[in-house]
Amino acid sequence: MTAIITAGIDIGSGCIKTVLFRVDGETVEWLDKDVARIRNRDPFLLTDETYDAMLARQGLCREDVAYVASTGDAEALRFATGHFYSMTTHGRGAVYLNDRARSVLDIGALNGRAIRIDDSGKVLGYRMTSQCASGSGQFLENIARYLGIAQDEIGQLSKSADAPEKVSSICAVLAETDVINMVSRGISAANILKGIHVSMATRLAKLLKAIGATEGVVQMTGGLALDEGLVAALNEALAAENMALTAQSHADAIHAGAIGAALWGAFRHQKLALLDEMAA
Amino acid sequence: MPATTAETVARCQTLFDDLDFTAARAWKEAAPGRKVVGFLPVYAPLELIHAAGCLPLGIFGGGDRMEVIHGDAFYQSYICRIPRSTVELGVTGRLDFVDGMIFPFVCDVIRNLSGMWKIMFPQVWTKFFDTPQNFDPEVGGAYYIEELKELREGLERLTGRPITDAALRASILHYNENRRLVRAVYDFRANAPWKAPASEVYLLMRAGLMMPVEDHNGMLADYLDAAEAEDRPRRDNVRIAIYGSFCEQPPLNLIKSVEMAGCYVVEDDYALVNRFLTEDVPVDGDPIEALATAYLTKSVETSCKYVPREEDKGRFHIAQIRKARAEGVIYASPSFCDPALLDRPMIARRLTEAGIPHISFKYAENSGQMQPIREQAGTFADSIKLWS
Repeated sequence: MTAIITAGIDIGSGCIKTVLFRVDGETVEWLDKDVARIRNRDPFLLTDETYDAMLARQGLCREDVAYVASTGDAEALRFATGHFYSMTTHGRGAVYLNDRARSVLDIGALNGRAIRIDDSGKVLGYRMTSQCASGSGQFLENIARYLGIAQDEIGQLSKSADAPEKVSSICAVLAETDVINMVSRGISAANILKGIHVSMATRLAKLLKAIGATEGVVQMTGGLALDEGLVAALNEALAAENMALTAQSHADAIHAGAIGAALWGAFRHQKLALLDEMAA
Repeated sequence: MPATTAETVARCQTLFDDLDFTAARAWKEAAPGRKVVGFLPVYAPLELIHAAGCLPLGIFGGGDRMEVIHGDAFYQSYICRIPRSTVELGVTGRLDFVDGMIFPFVCDVIRNLSGMWKIMFPQVWTKFFDTPQNFDPEVGGAYYIEELKELREGLERLTGRPITDAALRASILHYNENRRLVRAVYDFRANAPWKAPASEVYLLMRAGLMMPVEDHNGMLADYLDAAEAEDRPRRDNVRIAIYGSFCEQPPLNLIKSVEMAGCYVVEDDYALVNRFLTEDVPVDGDPIEALATAYLTKSVETSCKYVPREEDKGRFHIAQIRKARAEGVIYASPSFCDPALLDRPMIARRLTEAGIPHISFKYAENSGQMQPIREQAGTFADSIKLWS
């Protein structure tokens, strides 16, 4: 088996995540990673820039990459070899980050999804949040901005809450109104953030129940996986629902989709080579 | 200099988008006495319309670009959309230049639409074209010959001119050439789907049902040459067949969405008309009998054609899937389409027995929300790529 280079590119609504792997049979080496905030730029031009910069850092050129796998909103990425859907890639990425993961909660800027997987990362079932944004990172980001809080402070502040204030768990617009009322009533930022986390966690626990995840490790992926306040609130919600599940995060959780894409790309490259051999 | 694929597709898109049928109106006005005859899916013998000196004009509803207001008053809410939007086209005057309308037997809804058309537009020659459901030459064949003769007489009354056998044979030759080129485009796409995207092939076929067949033959030949010569990136997509979309058409965005989701469409039953007959129609005998025999023995299997033996149901689809080397099937049918939706479980069972992965979903010609379609088609493609 010859070693190959594969790339995974995950275009989300907030960030573009790019990873590069060297795969030699069962041996997988993670070469590089990057997260680029889109900030009103053309995501495809930004992808070109970050991908080429990554290849340059590794002393590679585009021709050296055997399979460029896109995921997320990257269907139209012109230089991709193939595209995989987010549940497929997050399932594989979750198992790479944590081999005990049997379900995944992927929470990005615009929506969240629960995915049930087997030990290879194969998707067994999934459910998404409804289109309302109140279970998403964008909503939390907006609230943090209204409260004048930096994003990386959210988790710690939430964990320090002593009397979380409940918010509407149905609608982002109503929830924002709730938050404005809370601010005017003098509720602390910590209790507001914890209230939002509790609301989101309740919805996420229901999603996990809907996919039939009853025990084991839930791997958090996507941008909100790094929010330790949400992880803590989710574990509390799971315990309250008597679900024998433990939510865990990972420092590289934001890359899970891109990781899964790159690894499925390597798998697909090998499968196609095998099919070509059989045809010959 | 032959047109590039982009130029050809742009021309087709213009025809496709134009719900005022400007090109057909211009054709009619270009010479005195010209007549335009509209026809609905799924099959009409266009050779007869052509031999009568008329322009056959495919009427495939209003798509997703027309708001249906009047049409909704004519049908219950549990009826598909194509009859509503066709009524809308009629009552808003968009078809006021059309001299005749042929309503082939797809289902009871379209049959009833022909009756409504007669009442609403008494000045238009309207024909319910009743294709046989019995394929015995002595029974269904004899009946169908009479139906074709009746159609011929109706067209003769419309134009005031006889349709000679010689003219009909000449028209059959044009349509034989059209069928050959259409098959060539489909074969080309099955071999190199990245060079002939489904959305382009679809527009190419739809445009052909709105222009003289001679022009379409030239367009198809140009497209084949240009597509062969152009270099387009090949992606690791799965090869799929789409069935269930023979009458009410999906919005173009749905076709594009399925492709974007990682599927190369290598076989389909979109707007069958020009692929309904699968081989050349002979021109050395009685042309009416030749058209009838072709329908009975050399035509596609589709939901609006009865399959007498249950064990034969889906056999045609499986053969087409194998021929096109499709890895999976998306059964995409219009909401409330009785023929397609009644067929779906039977076709699905055959696909399962043959070990061919398949999914299904429903659409309407004006469906606008593509995210669920992309997600279903995309995860289906993933499952084939990784786990089948």
